[in-house]
Amino acid sequence: MKHSFLDNYSDISSVIHGLDPRVKIIGFFFLTVVCVSTPPSSYFSFGVYFVVLLGVLLLSRLPFHHVFGRSMAVIPFVLMVAVFIPFLKKDVIGGGYNLGIGGITVSNSGLMVLWNVVIKSYIGVLCMILLSSTVPFPKLLKGFGDLGLPKIFTTIASFMYRYVFIITDEAQRMKRARDSRCFGGKWIWHSKVIGHMIATLFIRSYERGERVYVAMLSRGFDGDLKGKEGVQRLRPGDYIFLSVLIPVVTGVRLLV
Amino acid sequence: MHVPDGFVSGGVNAITYIISAGVSVFAVREANKKLGDKQVPLLGVVAAFIFAAQMLNFPVAGGTSGHFLGALLAASLLGPWISCLIMTVVLTIQCLLFADGGLTALGTNIFNMGIIGGVLCYYLLVALKSILPKNKGGYLISVAISSWMSVVLGASACAVELAISGTSPLGIVLPAMASVHVLIGIGEATITTAVVGLVLNTRPDLVGTYSYQDARTFNTMEA
Repeated sequence: MKHSFLDNYSDISSVIHGLDPRVKIIGFFFLTVVCVSTPPSSYFSFGVYFVVLLGVLLLSRLPFHHVFGRSMAVIPFVLMVAVFIPFLKKDVIGGGYNLGIGGITVSNSGLMVLWNVVIKSYIGVLCMILLSSTVPFPKLLKGFGDLGLPKIFTTIASFMYRYVFIITDEAQRMKRARDSRCFGGKWIWHSKVIGHMIATLFIRSYERGERVYVAMLSRGFDGDLKGKEGVQRLRPGDYIFLSVLIPVVTGVRLLV
Repeated sequence: MHVPDGFVSGGVNAITYIISAGVSVFAVREANKKLGDKQVPLLGVVAAFIFAAQMLNFPVAGGTSGHFLGALLAASLLGPWISCLIMTVVLTIQCLLFADGGLTALGTNIFNMGIIGGVLCYYLLVALKSILPKNKGGYLISVAISSWMSVVLGASACAVELAISGTSPLGIVLPAMASVHVLIGIGEATITTAVVGLVLNTRPDLVGTYSYQDARTFNTMEA
């Protein structure tokens, strides 16, 4: 089966892919946090953040359709929560726009709130997509480990990454078996079938976890994963990346 | 229910980050006590399971569908702290790899889904279990109610956070979020109950919160 839903394109080679995972984590996290803290009215800053990300995207040679296609992930939440705000919020001082359709007005402050959440969530999503598409997941975890994330989280996550494909395969096989028996469930009472599938999946996963543990024990596991490579030194390119990104973003945030 | 960046204010983010980080540290310690070094492979595989199970969409009504949350399921099988730890890992990875939920809102998402869904609703389950009839039926009813509550409470907490942040007035966002998730919660409750019921029949020793004597009689492995 084909699995290309996790960190695809993270193994191609480019300037950005060659950077140390740590600097990419720091860089993208920094940009996200600064972007979220930017007041919504400084349009120029958001423009600069977008251009910075576009520059990274061009350097990384990732296909545009991959990045922008996946960035649509943010739309459902925006539609559900934020899209009504301009129509509902009342301006303190009259600054609304009358659309002339049955007294529906769009308020200025409401539009500002909508713009605020849309641009910030979009830039945040782009940052995360660029991060996960330029670092293979195991290296990303090692980067987090080197940056001081507790080991328990990185080891659980690395096991999860190892087994998520197997368990997804298992789920897909069950799904295919179900569909080939004319399931066609569209209503809530069909949920029981899905419940039993999930239960079977849970028991199989849990027992697999137990077997994996026994196999590890028989190979000398004592609660600590060994064979870790040491912390790598940063190269000139890594310093250049951070020394361009951080001053530009900070400068724009503080000066504009 | 995954809140993206920019929707909740800095103050809400800071508070939920601090709560989530504190609870995660505590959860690691509790999970360590319960499982020892077995926790590493087991939690990893169960986290992968929650991840895969969330990909099975279930129908809500006619056309719309929701996906499974799994926090209360994990809590009823493995206890509140392991559930919270697993949800933390799953939500972090969803944020990093799928851009599902924002980085700055990660604390909020862990709070809404891991702590409310996994820990708070676990204690709701324990409370319900003690007042309902002490048999399999009563137990499954308390699982159903608390898993329904895990979705509804999570969504309501999300609505309150959005309102505090000034993104959306409470009078609008709370009914909107709650009404949708009242329906999604029915799916969650149906599935969680079916899962727990089947696990009770096949591997009752895996259902950590089911402590009644008749547990073994349902074991088909022995029959």
